[in-house]
Amino acid sequence: MKIGAEADIYVTSWNGRKSILKIRKRKDYRNELLDNRIRRLRTTREAKMISEVKSFGISTPLVYFVDQKKCEIFLQYVPGKLVRDLPNGTIIKACKKIGRIVGTLHKNGIMHGDLTTSNFILTREGLIIIDFGLAQKTEKVEDHAIDLRLFKEVLNSAHIDIVGKSWESFLNGYEKIVGTPRKERVISQVSVIEKRGRYANVV
Amino acid sequence: MLCLGIESTAHTFSCAIIEKTGTQGIILSDIRKIYTPPEGEGIHPREASRHHAENSPQVLAECLQKSGVKINDIDLVSYAAGPGLGPCLRIGAVVARSLASYYDMSIYPVNHALGHIELGKMLTGANDPLVLLVSGGHTMILALLSKKWRVFGETLDITLGQLLDQIGRHAGFASPCGSKIEEIASKSSTYVPLPYVVKGNDVSFSGLLSATKKIIPKGLESACYSLQETSFSMIGEATERALSFTGKKELLVVGGVAANKRLSDILTGVCKRHNCTFFVAPKEYAGDCGSQISWLGLLESSKKNGAKLEDTFVRQSWRIDTVEVHY
Repeated sequence: MKIGAEADIYVTSWNGRKSILKIRKRKDYRNELLDNRIRRLRTTREAKMISEVKSFGISTPLVYFVDQKKCEIFLQYVPGKLVRDLPNGTIIKACKKIGRIVGTLHKNGIMHGDLTTSNFILTREGLIIIDFGLAQKTEKVEDHAIDLRLFKEVLNSAHIDIVGKSWESFLNGYEKIVGTPRKERVISQVSVIEKRGRYANVV
Repeated sequence: MLCLGIESTAHTFSCAIIEKTGTQGIILSDIRKIYTPPEGEGIHPREASRHHAENSPQVLAECLQKSGVKINDIDLVSYAAGPGLGPCLRIGAVVARSLASYYDMSIYPVNHALGHIELGKMLTGANDPLVLLVSGGHTMILALLSKKWRVFGETLDITLGQLLDQIGRHAGFASPCGSKIEEIASKSSTYVPLPYVVKGNDVSFSGLLSATKKIIPKGLESACYSLQETSFSMIGEATERALSFTGKKELLVVGGVAANKRLSDILTGVCKRHNCTFFVAPKEYAGDCGSQISWLGLLESSKKNGAKLEDTFVRQSWRIDTVEVHY
C-alpha cells in the first residue's frame, strides 16, 4: 500500500480480518549489524507500546501478531483519513484532540517520538494514533519537549497556512490533560531546544 | 547578465563570475583560496578573516583574468551576507561594497545556504526537489513551500560536517577533514555499535561524537567506518521520513559533505526505495564557492533591485527558512 520511511505497509488479512502488515525490511544501504539492531528494536518496541498505551484510554490499532525475526507486525486495519490530508478547518479542530492524546501519553511517561500529522487517523469513532516505532518511556521535560517541537516543526513546514491556529489548538488540548504548570515548563523547554538550532538566535 | 559572486562565510574565500542567459548560467570562472588551520585545530575566525583579506586581491584578479571579462562589463556583484563567521563575512562584504561603489554596480547580499541549493538545482537540473544540505554549517532537510524553504528536519546539535571535522581533528588532522575520514573509513568494514539518534525527522550527533572518540584508540579505521555508517544511516532515515511525508519525487544533495561517496551511495539506496530521482551537486561545486553566491545574485536580480549600500550588512545568524523566494 505504501512505502513508508522505515517500513513497508501492506493491506492483508489476519484470520479473516482485514489487517495492516507492517514490515521493516532489510535496507541494503545500511550496514547489516546496524540495520538488524534498528529493525528488531523498533519492531518489538512498537508492538509493546501500541498495546500498553491502550490502558490509558488511548485509541491505537490492535496488534494481531508480531514476528520478531522477520520484523513484521500485523495490525488492525483502521478505516479513516490521515489528519495531514484533511481540510484546514478540520485539522485545526483535530489538533486539539491530538493535544489531548499527546498530553495523556506524556502524563503516563511515554514520548511518541514521531508526532506528525500523518500519524493520526480520523475515524468515525474518533482520532487514532499510530506508529510507535520511535516511542520511549520517559518522564523528562526535554523528551516531552522534543515531541512538541517536532509537531510544531511539522505544522510549520507542511501546514504553514494554519500553523498559528493549529498550534494554539494543540496546546489547548495538551494543557487540559497535563495542567498549566507542566505545559509551561515543556513549552519553555521547546524554546530552549529551538534556540539550540543552527543560526536560530541572533548573535 | 554577468554577476561577480563573493563567498567568505568560513574557510573559503572565493570569487566567481557567471553569465546568465534565460534560465541557464555558465560559470566563466570560480577561483578559491582555502584557509587551513594547523593540524588538530579548527577554524579560528580571526585567522581565517586575515587569510581572506590577504588573498582577496589575488583571487579577484585571477577570477577576472580567467573569465576573460572586464570588470566594467559586470552588471552586478553579490556577496554571502550570512550565515557564517562574522569576521569572515565582513571581508566579502567589504570587497563587494568597494566594487559596487567604485564601478557603480548593483549589489545583492544573499543567503549562503540558499546559494548552495540554487546552484545545485541549476547544475543538476533538479526541478522540485527535497533538498539535503550537509556541510560544516548546516545539516537540514528542506522543501520549497509557499515561497520559503521550509525545514522538514535538521540537526538538534552539531552538523554532519562538524561531526566529521571534530573526529578528524581529534585524530590529528587539519579540518576540513571529511575526505580524510572517508579515505580511512574505506579501509575497514568492521562495525562497532555507536549511538543512533533519530528523533522524528531530526537527528542528533553529539552523543555519537563522544562515543566515536572513545573507540578511536581501538582502531581508527573501524572508528571512521562505524562513524560514517551510523551518521549517514541516520541522515538516510531522516531523509526517508521527509520524502515519504512530502511525497517529493526528487532528492538533491548539496553542501561540502555531498562530496562524500558513501553518503551518495546511501542516499541512492534511499531514492531507489522511494522511486525518486537522485541528484548530487558536482564535487567541484558541492562545497563553498563563489558560484553559489553569483548564481543566487543573478536569480534575485531578475525580480528585485539591488540593495542600498547602507543596507549591505552581514548577518551571522540568518536562517534560510526566513528568506522569501521571489524568483
